[in-house]
Amino acid sequence: MADVTNGEELAETANEEEAAAPAAPADSAGDERLAYRGPIQRLLTRPEIGALIGTGAIWMVFWAVSDVFGTTPGTNSFLDVSTSLGIMAVAVALLMIGGEFDLSSGAMTGATGMLVVLLVKDTGELGGLGLPLFVAIPVTFLFAMGIGWVNGTLVEKTGLPSFIVTLGTFFTLRGAKLGFSKLFTDKVIVEGLDDAPDYEFWSNIFGGVWVRNNHLWENFLGGRDMVFAILAVLGAAALILAVLEQSLTRNAELKKASFATAGVGTVAALLGLIMLTQTDGTGANWIWSLVMGAGLLLGIMGYARLRFEISLPDRGSLTLGGPVGIRVLIGLGLVAAGVIFGTWLSSDSEYVIGILLTTQGLRAILFSGLVILGVIMMLIAARKADESPLTRFLITVLTAGVIAAVGFIIQSEADSRKFRAEFFAWIMLAALVLLIAAVIRLLFEQRRRTDPAADKLGRILAAVSMVLFAAAIALKLLWSTAAENEGAGITTYRVSILYFFLFAIFATWLLMRTKFGSWTFAVGGNKNAARQVGVPAARTKTQLFMMVSGAAWLVGMLIAFRLNSVQANVGDGNEFLYIIAAVVGGNLLTGGYGSAAGAAIGALIMAMSFQGIPFAGWNSDWRWLFVGVILLLAVMVNNYVRGKAEASK
Amino acid sequence: MSNETLLEIRDISKFYGNIIALRDITTSVQAGAVTCVLGDNGAGKSTFIKILAGAHQQSEGRLFVEGEEVMFNSPREALARGIATVYQDLAVVPLMSVWRNFFLGSEPTKLGFLNVVDREKASSIAKGELAKMGIDIRDTEQPVGTLSGGERQSVAIARAAYFGAKVLILDEPTSALGVKQSGVVLRYIVEARNRGLGVIFITHNPHHAWPVGDRFMILNRGQSLGDFAKEELTKDELTQLMAGGTELADLQHELAQATAGGGGAS
Repeated sequence: MADVTNGEELAETANEEEAAAPAAPADSAGDERLAYRGPIQRLLTRPEIGALIGTGAIWMVFWAVSDVFGTTPGTNSFLDVSTSLGIMAVAVALLMIGGEFDLSSGAMTGATGMLVVLLVKDTGELGGLGLPLFVAIPVTFLFAMGIGWVNGTLVEKTGLPSFIVTLGTFFTLRGAKLGFSKLFTDKVIVEGLDDAPDYEFWSNIFGGVWVRNNHLWENFLGGRDMVFAILAVLGAAALILAVLEQSLTRNAELKKASFATAGVGTVAALLGLIMLTQTDGTGANWIWSLVMGAGLLLGIMGYARLRFEISLPDRGSLTLGGPVGIRVLIGLGLVAAGVIFGTWLSSDSEYVIGILLTTQGLRAILFSGLVILGVIMMLIAARKADESPLTRFLITVLTAGVIAAVGFIIQSEADSRKFRAEFFAWIMLAALVLLIAAVIRLLFEQRRRTDPAADKLGRILAAVSMVLFAAAIALKLLWSTAAENEGAGITTYRVSILYFFLFAIFATWLLMRTKFGSWTFAVGGNKNAARQVGVPAARTKTQLFMMVSGAAWLVGMLIAFRLNSVQANVGDGNEFLYIIAAVVGGNLLTGGYGSAAGAAIGALIMAMSFQGIPFAGWNSDWRWLFVGVILLLAVMVNNYVRGKAEASK
Repeated sequence: MSNETLLEIRDISKFYGNIIALRDITTSVQAGAVTCVLGDNGAGKSTFIKILAGAHQQSEGRLFVEGEEVMFNSPREALARGIATVYQDLAVVPLMSVWRNFFLGSEPTKLGFLNVVDREKASSIAKGELAKMGIDIRDTEQPVGTLSGGERQSVAIARAAYFGAKVLILDEPTSALGVKQSGVVLRYIVEARNRGLGVIFITHNPHHAWPVGDRFMILNRGQSLGDFAKEELTKDELTQLMAGGTELADLQHELAQATAGGGGAS
């Protein structure tokens, strides 16, 4: 009779509450509320974050092992591979968020490409249509829309899983491609798109190129690299301000005395940076590096002092007992072990251990693996020491020191400029950022509440910094310097890369900002609830299927105009690559959660591994193994993120 | 509290072929009052809700909304007349944020044909409306799945109220919840009532119904065991009616014997 007893208690509670009903219930505050999450924590719950970190890691690996991968031609090659994969992955991600699959998406890219060639061709005795492209291309588009509509309508009307329905469409398209190809041309390839009278015009739209050159920037604002540096510095400044705004508590009024500190620091940092760029970077530019680092620290501290609350004086005492101290020791031990392996194994030997591994490879893996593990262990120790800010500070500073020391070891051991200068600079920057973060954390009051004005400003600044960084990278990729032209030659980009980025941005906007996006999440997350509140679930899903087939049309056109011919099996089997890219990008197979930008990042990861493996000199047969491992890792990360996202208290 | 009758149900019956799911059900819902519909599993509660929500049509009998006779052919029609239903399990999309859930299907938009959702407006309205119900949400961006079960129900109740519902039908809102969470939901039912809505509260638990109800209608095997105002009966009578009177007495007797013999169950 436990239920009745509970009921009695409940009845009494409810009666009391009834009397007090007009007043807001107090106890729903306290335990039901979430603590304020700073910018870093918030970033970590985005669905794309796993993929973003993965992209950085994979890029680093291939950059380290290959000479070409990190250069402009290398970047172009993986971007080029990512386009058709990425356009489709973004559309497929939207459909997956809406709770459905489309297995016909791969075959559809080939089908639309083939259809446009067949419509344009005069196939002789069978009576080809010989249509001009301005008719053929819209007709193909309508065909694609029709397939999407059929897929969506069949899934909605029959209530069958989209897996089965679109599997049917897949085989239909695959058979039709082969059948019509044989029927009209007697071959498994249709050719001759360039016979169309208005080919030139359309070729520019779907097959256009951008030749990387040094026009425009040659004499403008001191050359490309100067503009790049300005954009990067502004971007970094905006990012720093954004993080500060979102994580610290604002002062009631500005502490004007700190203007001078901030100003002096900024000037020193800029001066150091300018002097560093004037030198070749291979030598140890001790003085200017130190000037820049100190300037940066001083500038940020000055700004923080100007605007934010100093924290309470109680910073705890140094406590290294228990798990914290053990973690620090383990971390230090791992780093030391990595360094010992790194210096002990000879860098000259190309001796092959076993089948796959050279001494060099073993050295690189042991060194980087152990050092990274050690640093992570120390950072975890710092985090665990949260109740004593002083301990946390000291551990973080120690970690920054270890990172810097490792940087020096790499510099002294490595023989290529890549590691001696560029990598060294990045490591030093990482150590500096960690150091500054530790100091800020120790001295200033961490914000625990939302502050709408500061949060909004922080978001705007973060967005500005992202735009500036993107502009800086685009600048470097799209324009060359005269010296680069003589060295590596001219890079030619295809217009498809532009379409990929535009489509990814459009899809992200659609998903995050529009009604349609809300409905997409809703039909994938809980279709019945969505329908209950008046979301046209069937229409939304059909539109998503049509979006996939629309994307397939775009990819079909890009394929057709690239080679002017389409093979009957183009695209077959790629549907799984799209789904993998979407999953790697943080989209759940079960729907209702995910991101379009994530799918684009997932496509980049896959393209990087497809192209990076041959660049690294490995047999490209290994790439499927790579894809498999990435997929497994991604699924596990997603599972974890999803758990976090829907964690019920 | 006004006594305007929002919804009147007169002699409603529902037959599925030769099965009689409901027979001659009569009750009413007043503005600012809670009508509790009680019944055990299989008593016909779901059929009753579905008729009121427009998902099914009654075979016999008449429905009046604010004095006007109606026949709902679809849930949309019922909604248009201000009758909103909150189903226990279909209430919200857990992975979507609070404000997106609140405005799902009726998002405020800007920039015309682009249908861009006005996030700030949606977010602040959702926050304000939930605050009126006594739910203080710190961050309307948090997924609804992170709220407690009772709060999730309450989000659905608040949104139905905001979108012009005059009569709220709550399908077993407390049945899947623990004691404390049930209390939370009961409080929001009272809150909705105080704001002048008519509430139909469907439950199988008389202990949940009694504290909030103004009128009680008990269903048993598709038939009404009576439609009472709160003054006309006591809680014990309600519990007895609910369990079928003599049946409960027998059960109590049996349990008493079992407890005495077995050394005390709970």
